[in-house]
Amino acid sequence: MGEKFEVGIDELFVVNVARTMRDRTTVFHGVSSPIPMVAMYYAKLTHAKDMVYFGGVSSAVDPNPPFFPPTTNDWVMIQGRTAMVTVDKIFDLAQRGELDRSFFSGAQIDKYGNQNVSMIGSPDRCKVKLPGGAGGCNLSGDCVNYTIWTTRHRAQKKGDRKFFTLVNKCDFVTNVGHVTPYGRREELDLVGNGPDWVVTELGVFDFDELTKTMRLRYLYPDTTVNDVLDSTEFEPIIHPNVGVMEMPTREEIEIIRRIDPLGIRKLEYPEQELARRFQI
Amino acid sequence: MGIYTERDKLVTMEEAASTIRDGDVVAIGGGLCMREPIAMLRELVRQGRRNLHIVGTAHGFDVDFACGGGIVGAVEETHVSFEQDFGLAPNYRRACETGQVRIKENCCNTVIMQLRASEFGVPFMPMRSIKGSDEIKLHPEFKSMIDPFTGKKIVLVPALTPDVAIIHAQKADIHGNLKILPPYVADVLFIRASKRVIVTAEEIVSEEEMIEDGPTIPYYETTAVVDAPFGAHPTSCYPYYAYDREHISEYMKSAKEGADAFKNRYLDKYVYGVKSAEKYLEKVGGNVKRERLASWKEGRERWMELFTYG
Repeated sequence: MGEKFEVGIDELFVVNVARTMRDRTTVFHGVSSPIPMVAMYYAKLTHAKDMVYFGGVSSAVDPNPPFFPPTTNDWVMIQGRTAMVTVDKIFDLAQRGELDRSFFSGAQIDKYGNQNVSMIGSPDRCKVKLPGGAGGCNLSGDCVNYTIWTTRHRAQKKGDRKFFTLVNKCDFVTNVGHVTPYGRREELDLVGNGPDWVVTELGVFDFDELTKTMRLRYLYPDTTVNDVLDSTEFEPIIHPNVGVMEMPTREEIEIIRRIDPLGIRKLEYPEQELARRFQI
Repeated sequence: MGIYTERDKLVTMEEAASTIRDGDVVAIGGGLCMREPIAMLRELVRQGRRNLHIVGTAHGFDVDFACGGGIVGAVEETHVSFEQDFGLAPNYRRACETGQVRIKENCCNTVIMQLRASEFGVPFMPMRSIKGSDEIKLHPEFKSMIDPFTGKKIVLVPALTPDVAIIHAQKADIHGNLKILPPYVADVLFIRASKRVIVTAEEIVSEEEMIEDGPTIPYYETTAVVDAPFGAHPTSCYPYYAYDREHISEYMKSAKEGADAFKNRYLDKYVYGVKSAEKYLEKVGGNVKRERLASWKEGRERWMELFTYG
């Protein structure tokens, strides 16, 4: 096998997001989504060659971008495409129940997979205005399934207080998970089935079928169940066979480095996370 | 909506901006940091327009700048940020958090369906998403009901008819035919759904050249045309220029510091007293800058550099 090869959390994370995609499905990423952008193209070049790849708000079908820019709406993202559509056509696909997957994140995420991308505080007393969900409120309802990602799972300690991203309750629910403040998905007659994977820098979760709550499935080589519990305000379910993720090959990592020379996959992390290195 | 058949629609930026009134519902074209009509927004700031109700999908520099320039009363966009390049939008945040603008955050497909209702000439559209989201709290005008055909829960969203759409096109002729290059984002919907359509264009071309090229939008759908070279700067307007990361970086520094710093160090320098397109280009770096932003055409390495400088 030769000498050891060093990889970063940013690369393992892209692999984990890519593994939530299947060949011969329709997949779309939204705005502010550098990791899904890279992961989608990586999936298309590896295990999902016949995946229909909608490149964000630029709305190119199967683009081959020469690199990834730090914005989703740029001519870089329409290079080497098969065709252009308009973004409303992608939403139509979703409304018809034919968009298989997209990707959403949030400053707050609860155990049912609801996410807050809108505000800390309330509409009357908005403490921090977040960017807003773009198409997330619609697509989280309409997509067949979707992947949640966050690179800020690790709770931040400030004095005696701990600040969580994975919270008991979102201040505001922008994107809908399995059980919303207004009822369960089935009660709301939503088109899609909700989130099925949550990828964080500490582990990978799916959802328990009965309780519809997040369930820890995989760890990284340097994280433990206790790390996850420490940084999660709610109590996640721990899968009986929780284990370390299967490592990618050196060739797979080299694809990620080649398609993302600007390293936009690293832009979402607190600095200390990027120092984490792994041998494969 | 609206049919405009005037042969010559060419007006100055001042004239076009003066037809937009305080309180108007305004759709700003482009998206995030691409092909946004920033020269028109600068003119609206100079004219001291107030209380505009901004509608649209995923935006960035335009809405943040308009909030910092004090011309906005409500924002009904679905997303406002500089994405992973510069992150949260400082002027927009401040305006929302201080209550200077009313938060009417909406969701992309909801806006699309509302614009379609206007385009289709129907009063509302039925939707199956939005349910379960708190976005509904920001929109008491949406109505939940049972679909009389299927018995399932649906939400009705009313037609959205902006008073005016401001669109930056690559090319226009004086008759109002437009050539817009994709991605269109919501521009075509804005044009068909709005009462009036003001176009700023990178280039004014002859009607013959336009017809030869094939217009994206026919003349009768546009109200006025303004000659506005570099009119989307610092957002991108390909093939002419990529976005100006150096300029946006300078913008962010003053915007993050506060409203006064933004006024003193950005608005005073680039907006007030900088009326003509020539003077603006000179202020932001002249032809050297313009050529640099056009250098994306020279290949992958040059294009990549444009996303790291500044």
